[in-house]
Amino acid sequence: MKRPWYRFLYVRSSLVKLLLSIIAIMVAVAVVLFQGIAEEPRMLAQTANWDGRSIQNGAAIYANNCSSCHGPDGRGLPGVAPALNSRYFFTQRLADLGFTGSLEDYVALTVAAGRPNNRNSQWAQMMPTWSAEYGGPFRGDQVRDVAKFVVNWEEEALTQTQETDPWQPFENAPTVDIYGDGGVVAMEPTPVATGPRPPQELFVSMTCVACHNLNLPQDAQNRGPVGPNMANLHETAATRVPGEDAQTYVHNSIVNPGAYTVESYTPGIMPADFAQKMSEEEIQSLVDWILDPNRPQ
Amino acid sequence: MAVQPEVNKKSVMRTVLDAADDVFTRITAGISAGEVRRMIRGEAPGRPNPRLKPHSEAFLLHIKPTYYHESVTKFTHTFRLGLLSTYLFFVETITGLILMIWYAPTPERAYTDMIRLLSNVPFGQLMRDLHRLGAELMVAVVTLHMVRTYLTGSYKAPRQFTWFTGVILLVLTLFLSFSGYLLPWDQLAYWAVTIGTSMAEAIPPPIVGETVNLLARGAPDIGANGLMRFYLLHVLFLPLALFLFFFVHYYKVVHFGISLPSDEEEVGQDTANKVPADRRVYFLPDVMLDEAALLIVFTALMVIASVFFFAAPLESIANPQSTPLHTVAPWYFYWLQGLLKIADKAIAGVYLPGILLVLLIGIPYLDRNPSRRGRDRRVAIISGVVAGIVMIILSWMGTPYYAVQGAPAVEVIQELMPEEGMGPVREIGYAHLPLGVYDTRTHPESEDEEFNHILHEFEASIAAFEAKDPSFNDAYGILTISQEQPSLKRINWDIYWLSPEGVDETYNRFFFLHEDAFYWEQYGIKDFSFMRPATGEGE
Repeated sequence: MKRPWYRFLYVRSSLVKLLLSIIAIMVAVAVVLFQGIAEEPRMLAQTANWDGRSIQNGAAIYANNCSSCHGPDGRGLPGVAPALNSRYFFTQRLADLGFTGSLEDYVALTVAAGRPNNRNSQWAQMMPTWSAEYGGPFRGDQVRDVAKFVVNWEEEALTQTQETDPWQPFENAPTVDIYGDGGVVAMEPTPVATGPRPPQELFVSMTCVACHNLNLPQDAQNRGPVGPNMANLHETAATRVPGEDAQTYVHNSIVNPGAYTVESYTPGIMPADFAQKMSEEEIQSLVDWILDPNRPQ
Repeated sequence: MAVQPEVNKKSVMRTVLDAADDVFTRITAGISAGEVRRMIRGEAPGRPNPRLKPHSEAFLLHIKPTYYHESVTKFTHTFRLGLLSTYLFFVETITGLILMIWYAPTPERAYTDMIRLLSNVPFGQLMRDLHRLGAELMVAVVTLHMVRTYLTGSYKAPRQFTWFTGVILLVLTLFLSFSGYLLPWDQLAYWAVTIGTSMAEAIPPPIVGETVNLLARGAPDIGANGLMRFYLLHVLFLPLALFLFFFVHYYKVVHFGISLPSDEEEVGQDTANKVPADRRVYFLPDVMLDEAALLIVFTALMVIASVFFFAAPLESIANPQSTPLHTVAPWYFYWLQGLLKIADKAIAGVYLPGILLVLLIGIPYLDRNPSRRGRDRRVAIISGVVAGIVMIILSWMGTPYYAVQGAPAVEVIQELMPEEGMGPVREIGYAHLPLGVYDTRTHPESEDEEFNHILHEFEASIAAFEAKDPSFNDAYGILTISQEQPSLKRINWDIYWLSPEGVDETYNRFFFLHEDAFYWEQYGIKDFSFMRPATGEGE
């Protein structure tokens, strides 16, 4: 009978089979023991890994949904939404509120349920409900991811001093020295500046920025979700209302928002009190600034 | 029983030893310690053969034949593939049961349970990797078992029904593997199963297809109901069905005997059960030792593979709102995915697999050639090989390399930093991504060698797409890496190009990468760098 080339596959000897089995068992046990030694660091690394991935997911959600009001770097927008990347927020906010849970829980709670209204609030925008449980767009794990991302600012926020902390104090300002620079510091509201304020500051402090995007054009591809985008307003403003040039159109839109509403947008959203909040001079400078095609971004 | 008279007759020592041997013989269902010794020494059994007793006494052995034909015990005759499939089913049951302890089949918990299993359960990852590896091996081994049976013509009379149950077992194995696919509730699972069940929708007439699809998913889209259904299929219904068909299959195998190598009997004869006394190999001890040794070595190899070379994937949590760029079926369904790319859903997903199944079952009746010898079955062997090659080509077409290229800008970024999985950028990791703005037009270089490879690849990939895609001109890319938070970097990709009409186009995609996040490939040497003590490197 001819002997095939693969005859090495035929293990005939019982002794060899026994030896192979014993070696295999020893190798398998050794490998499992090695895995056992590796288990503790492996689990630690995996825990850190999935926390990190949570923060990554939270960062993406924050960039797409939260950064327009709370700022891309979490430093808030005066009058629109409070700073999160703030030493005050990490050290004192919970005590001022009397909240007994962790800061991450507080953020998750606020993100999930939002704020019921913004009456008597110094913030122009109301925090919406974000959790699907309360009618928002996000699942529970996404809300947690955002909270983890926000809390991850801690290391940076704790290095802030009173000058660099972007926190916008509430009316019932805290009176605790959290900056360690001596003395009890009352966080007073930012003093009202005298004289005309510059238009780039007005655009933020008057909360225009919350709804209008200055860097995107309003066209077929791009459409501001709440208010129209403004990058190409200097081209389109003059065409909007017959008989009104660009200057007049924008001026009227600020002073009397109800006068014209761009089609497909909800009327009555834009605040109607800008004429009282700004001087005529300031409004004019804001109009010029918005319509300046060479405005630096 | 009175002990005293025995002790009086024999010595105390003798009595104890006899009692011990009695217990031993009961446990082994009829093999005394002396017989074990004679087995190990390779001595022939006495007459009557005491080594046959366990086959009639013990439940687990009564289904095993007492002896085999010497020719079929050669490893290369069957490669023991049937035994291996059975063993893998056993491995899957054990590892699956352990995984069930840590798993609840609801969308709220399934994915977090996976993370908990990986990060909080000792040996949890090993169990998951073993289960997944076992599942893939089981599909492979069952398929190879079928190929072997086909090539040796063992499906021919009288074994047609054995072949039929084998085909059913193959289908059940595929369904088992596929139903387990959904359970981790990640993007990979969700979309593979969405596509899989949507094929059921194509069953004509529409009312049947829609009903089947609805029954499988439990709702128009896969959700809590669908997950529960797939879970129950996976852990209860399909294993029980497989269990039943396994016993039918195995009974027929024992009943007819394993077919002999074809040149050892006349054409048209079947002498598998007429084993001459001098060609018999008894199960005890020879075949048992052989099978046990094989399974032990195989188990050791599986353990080594899942500790060092195989990691079950886990993508991000299932998101019904976001379809991944390239949905990939498991490799054993690549052929189906390939078919879906070239044919309509009803043809590729229902008719062709249906015809294939009927053909497989019908093989013993279509092939009327009585001979099992290779030289008499040229047509059968060639058509089998052609079918195999077609399957391989279709499988290749099922991979993303074939005909699913998206827009060039999208593909450039997908190559370097895919939506899911590792990709080169995540492979070099957080520490090797220096902050800065890198514009491919200025051929940027950085201090970091590994990062330079990424920059070169970015440039080369854009140039390659520019050369082959006429709608992608004067393209360049800007990669911006910025520190978003302590321990979190933002990797921002911008690609600019001119359309054929000369219009500026741009594509932006950004990802975040955390210092502690790590990614892994399913196949390849595992990274054990976490075992190094922390040295404070990586700034």
